[in-house]
Amino acid sequence: MSTLMNQARNRVPRFAEAAVERARLSVVPRSTGRRAARVPFFALLSVLLVGGVAGLLFVNTSMQQVSFTTTAMEQKASELQAQRQSLQMQLDALRDPQRVALQAKQMGMVPPASPAFIRLGDGKILGTPTLATNADSVRITPMRNPKPKALRQRTVIEKVKAPKDATTPKVTAGGAAAPGTAIAAGTKKTRDPGQENPR
Amino acid sequence: MRGPTLVRLRIGFVLIAMIVSLFAVRLFQLQSVDAATYVAKARAEGVVTVALPATRGTIEDRNGTPLADSVDGLMLVADPTLTVKHASAIATIIARRLHVDYFDLLQRLRMPDTHFQYIARRVPATEARAVLTEIDKHGYKGIDTRRDPVRSYPGDDVAANLVGFMNAQGDAAEGAELMFDTMLSGRDGSATYEVGGGNRIPLGENSTVPARSGHNLKLTIDRDVQWYTQRVLRTAVQSSGGSSGAAVVMDSKTGQLLSLADYPTFDANQPGLSSQKDLGSRALRDVYEPGSVEKVLTTSSLIDAGKVTPDTKISVPSQLRRGDRVIHDYFPHGTLHLTLTGVIAKSSNIGTVLAASKFTHRQLYDYLRKFGLGQRTNIGVHGESPGVLNGWRQWSQINQDTIAFGQGVAVNAVQMAAAVNVIANGGVYVRPSLVKGEATTSGGEVVGSDTTTEHRVVSARAARLTTGMMEAVTNPVVGTAPSAGVEGYRVAGKTGTAQRVGSRCHCYNGTFTVSFAGFAPADKPRFLVYVVVQDPRNGGGGGSVGGPAFHKIMSYLLEKYAVPPTGSTAPTPRIDW
Repeated sequence: MSTLMNQARNRVPRFAEAAVERARLSVVPRSTGRRAARVPFFALLSVLLVGGVAGLLFVNTSMQQVSFTTTAMEQKASELQAQRQSLQMQLDALRDPQRVALQAKQMGMVPPASPAFIRLGDGKILGTPTLATNADSVRITPMRNPKPKALRQRTVIEKVKAPKDATTPKVTAGGAAAPGTAIAAGTKKTRDPGQENPR
Repeated sequence: MRGPTLVRLRIGFVLIAMIVSLFAVRLFQLQSVDAATYVAKARAEGVVTVALPATRGTIEDRNGTPLADSVDGLMLVADPTLTVKHASAIATIIARRLHVDYFDLLQRLRMPDTHFQYIARRVPATEARAVLTEIDKHGYKGIDTRRDPVRSYPGDDVAANLVGFMNAQGDAAEGAELMFDTMLSGRDGSATYEVGGGNRIPLGENSTVPARSGHNLKLTIDRDVQWYTQRVLRTAVQSSGGSSGAAVVMDSKTGQLLSLADYPTFDANQPGLSSQKDLGSRALRDVYEPGSVEKVLTTSSLIDAGKVTPDTKISVPSQLRRGDRVIHDYFPHGTLHLTLTGVIAKSSNIGTVLAASKFTHRQLYDYLRKFGLGQRTNIGVHGESPGVLNGWRQWSQINQDTIAFGQGVAVNAVQMAAAVNVIANGGVYVRPSLVKGEATTSGGEVVGSDTTTEHRVVSARAARLTTGMMEAVTNPVVGTAPSAGVEGYRVAGKTGTAQRVGSRCHCYNGTFTVSFAGFAPADKPRFLVYVVVQDPRNGGGGGSVGGPAFHKIMSYLLEKYAVPPTGSTAPTPRIDW
């Protein structure tokens, strides 16, 4: 192997001796020059460090700030949304046909008996204009629910025979009117169903 | 290295080793032994997960007016241990602002041995916050809010039978709310983030699954027409002493329902106040025998088949024996000489039976099927009944006879309205629709006006001739329902007074179903109106109960949609010979 290599080396043609000589490595004498100044380097490092930290802090703070603002604005948005919805609800309530109809009725309006139109082009009346009267009105409020039978008050008329001497209350020896004699015939009484025996 | 230094160094190492091993032990304890506890603790400290509730879609009428709307709501809850001290002051504030009973509040605010009491549910957010602000201002503690979405129904009872309602648990309970629940409800999302001092920490853990809002649902109903129809229907049912009623308003050309009213109905904001059986739509759930309105279908079929014309002369005896039964008319008469027009105008059962004898069972059955009888309309309402129309093979002669004048066959109100609308629409059946555009039911069915279908039932000529006969019904001289006519307009219609099957005995129990179906203008129909009243107690028939209600609804429609009279006059009907 080594003999092979040696053969190869020996086979290199010897030309440009001078250039080879120039390129040959040699020991460089120890540098006697100044060392690079350290201050600017440390200054650069400090600036980078402080700047980085400050920048990071700044970014962090501003993000925090943005987060506060976001939260506040989101809350505001949901409040406004809720407000919009309740205004919409009020509007719906005002537009409710039942409300409008009640108000119209209070103003004395009734629905038309049969429709008729004026054609604006030639002023012609289409249909038969008919006077709207109260007869055409529609009951727009519900009728009051009838009370259940058990709760209805009933007027009960009790006929009681008047005693013959009812007009002249008996005066007893003590001078007091006898109890029960002063009841007039046909007294009207309103009875509560609770007091009545079921029939 | 000399002796003392070496010793110092060793002592130092030992100390460092001891401290480091302490750290290691602690680290081990934190990371593996107690890890789960600490993670949970950290979560509880700073990480918040909030549900992002999806907004439920709005149900609106054909013009975009909301019939059911979702509103941000809050519930007020109290911690009685904190509120007991100032209970009366807090109760005063809440009672004044939210219309909650003061004494009930007081009891709740003083409830012993609990930290939680409901104070008010489903309060619009703005109102709840205003209450809370006032309570805070006075420095009272113990009242808080929680999310509680409000479903509001601005119309109360208007279209409640169709829209349905959400129950106290916040689930869809009836009507379109239930039928289209999947589509309306959307999907809830959630957000997880770290908080510090009530604010989101920007670089902390943070993940959001956005909520998907529900889709809106648009009905073909016109809220104003619905309101008016409901009021007219209520008036008609109450003043006739009826037990219930239904009214259908349909656009003749498109089959879209402008109104579908039921009485009794309920207030969608307070469904609990009404009886359970009033919470749906009777117009679709309940079936009844249509009675004479059905004669319109029979006669138009007969004309279409070329069996009769409006001038066909029919000799109507005072009664007609068919097998073991005897058929009567509702009014006593001797032998009448009526044209077919006269039979319709006077609503003679006997005349109709005689005319319908020209049909075989099968012919009549096929026509009635084409009119949509015995089949659901599938307009997208929960629990629609298909009605009853038995197959022709099961018919005997008496079945055909009674079916020809509308007994022995049962329909729901929308079905019947759609059938009569065939005449208004020039002989073409158009499937009715309640949903504008299209929508998918929770069962996956696509319904709506965009999916409607049409098919021809009778010829345009047959429809026109039938319309002419129906005009005689509102004729002030010869008709059974002059009160249904609208001054200046040509109105075609038909009354119906049918014997009613009682729910107890499943037999005719002496009560009636009265109805009126009609359309206007007769020579260029725009709207079909059908009014049905069950069990009127004032002895009224289709003409006297249904007619005036029809008149009011039709007048309103013609006026609201600005339909001028066509200017032509109805020919004088020839009813006898």
